[in-house]
Amino acid sequence: MPGEEIFHLSVSELAKRIEAKKLSPVELTQIYLDRSQKLGPRFNAYAHLTPEIALEQAKAAEKEIQRGHYRGPLHGIPYAAKDLLAVKGLPTTWGAKPYADQVFDYNATVIDHLHGVGAVMVGKASMIELAGGMGYRFASASLQREAKNPWDTTCWTCGSSSGSGAIVAAGLAAFAIGTETWGSIICPSAFCGVSGLRPTYGRVSRYGAMALAPSMDKIGPMARSAEDCARIFAAIAGHDPKDRGTVPIDKGAFTYSPSIELHSRPLRVGWLTNAWKTLAPGVAKPIEAANRTLKKYFSSVKNVALPVGPWEEAGNIIVAVESAASFRSLIRSGRVSELTDPLGQIAGYVNEQYAGADYLQALKVREIIQKKMDSLFDTFDVIATAAQPVPATPLTLNLETDLAFPDPLGGIGNICGLPAISVPCGFTDKNLPVGLQFVGRAGDDYAVIQAGRTFQLHTDWHKRHPKIH
Amino acid sequence: MGNKSNSAISRREFARRAALASAAASLAPTELLSSKSIPAPLPAQQPANAPKLSPESQAEVESRIQAIFAQYGNRLSEAQKTDIRRLATEAQPPLDRLRAFATDNGDGPGLYLKPLIERERKPLAMPATPKPAATPKSS
Repeated sequence: MPGEEIFHLSVSELAKRIEAKKLSPVELTQIYLDRSQKLGPRFNAYAHLTPEIALEQAKAAEKEIQRGHYRGPLHGIPYAAKDLLAVKGLPTTWGAKPYADQVFDYNATVIDHLHGVGAVMVGKASMIELAGGMGYRFASASLQREAKNPWDTTCWTCGSSSGSGAIVAAGLAAFAIGTETWGSIICPSAFCGVSGLRPTYGRVSRYGAMALAPSMDKIGPMARSAEDCARIFAAIAGHDPKDRGTVPIDKGAFTYSPSIELHSRPLRVGWLTNAWKTLAPGVAKPIEAANRTLKKYFSSVKNVALPVGPWEEAGNIIVAVESAASFRSLIRSGRVSELTDPLGQIAGYVNEQYAGADYLQALKVREIIQKKMDSLFDTFDVIATAAQPVPATPLTLNLETDLAFPDPLGGIGNICGLPAISVPCGFTDKNLPVGLQFVGRAGDDYAVIQAGRTFQLHTDWHKRHPKIH
Repeated sequence: MGNKSNSAISRREFARRAALASAAASLAPTELLSSKSIPAPLPAQQPANAPKLSPESQAEVESRIQAIFAQYGNRLSEAQKTDIRRLATEAQPPLDRLRAFATDNGDGPGLYLKPLIERERKPLAMPATPKPAATPKSS
């Protein structure tokens, strides 16, 4: 039996061993598969495992590496993909009963990109049904049931990339792919104590991914460090003619190597004073400590407030309208009643009723806040705050009534398509992870990665992992 | 846990976010918008903590609810109808705030749309000798 530690090594550490031929991709894949088969059900982490594909890809990787054809840091590295990414010939359930038997005959671009760099897909990660696009009241809103947090299985992982968070935290794969329309990478990363990158809108192709709100949907990595996120992001970023939302070729690609850090610019950090109304006591303490760390290791840290305005309201309307359009046939056919969650069964009817003029007003407001934020990033390279004001919540919590608070940064960040990263920055007294969030200017994904990386060079929170027996 | 206030917006992904939608009077069936078919706003089955709305907003909420019930009522249980009534009511204050935010006529919407541009289409064959314009162009 391999030691527990290997399951929590970063992609960078695994890659070194694989490149040096000290670690076999086939053996690594097999032990991850064994662990996923054993522990995956404990956390409801997977929609399904893909052992045949995994072993075939791992054998191919091993053969190539043995021949001296090493493709790079993801070659032979096992990962999981959120179950809203199409994989040819496999079920892609979108976490929802009405799509339980859905099979596509093509791959999502992200899947092809990861295949191209030699990564090994061990399974499809569980998720909140339709990524929460029809609303949900409980953590159990999933075809795969509630995802349990590896740090405390009475708590939730957050959503909608719930399985992706559980998989990375529990060491069931080296990394996972998540998606975010509003909070679905940042929140699970914070709750599960992993590093998660929400790239700039349009930087990663959504071709083959379930559409929720097409003007806000984004795909990004969840991994064990900011550096891992950078390496994965480098593999999946880029213009794609099959996704018209992607940015042009010259702005899409992302390259990363540790050597570029030698030429990194000193980062000016804006510490947000109004991102959250209050922080839970267990969160406040680690966040205060994180602030002190930033002041010690970053070139400048100054307080700053987010602009005040109806940004969340605008985001809500954009999501509601676009999701109603994305799932119109589900709503109109009445099959929406097959969703698990009581809120998901009815919210689409309400969302369908928005006025075009209100949607356009929301898009006008989006333009205004985009300009305001762009000005703010003339002064700061990144802005920072807690990723969430609370730690992981109980599985049975009514999210609608008991977890409601303003989230202006989430609203602004997502309607403006700004990049963000959540990195672990400590624990509550109940040993639940706390995340620190950096948000950057649109297109400046490197700044948030650099911020996360710098923080992790001086802390070891990202190296902690839950004890799993 | 989170602080809930009148202005608080549900944080947890789309749990309430996608549900906190409002209806468009302009999209509702015409007959439902007429004063004959819609009686004065009825605060029927309003929960105790329902937001206080202006008469205009309350009328809009009611028209939205009636539009949903007219279209989908036969597939909804009484409990679901009550829930829809609550959701539609709670959606109104954020909508009112958004509408109250001053935007100018010239403010462009922040669309993420790249229209098809000519160079992405198949290039057209150029005639060997361009024909002279027969008549002056008008705009």
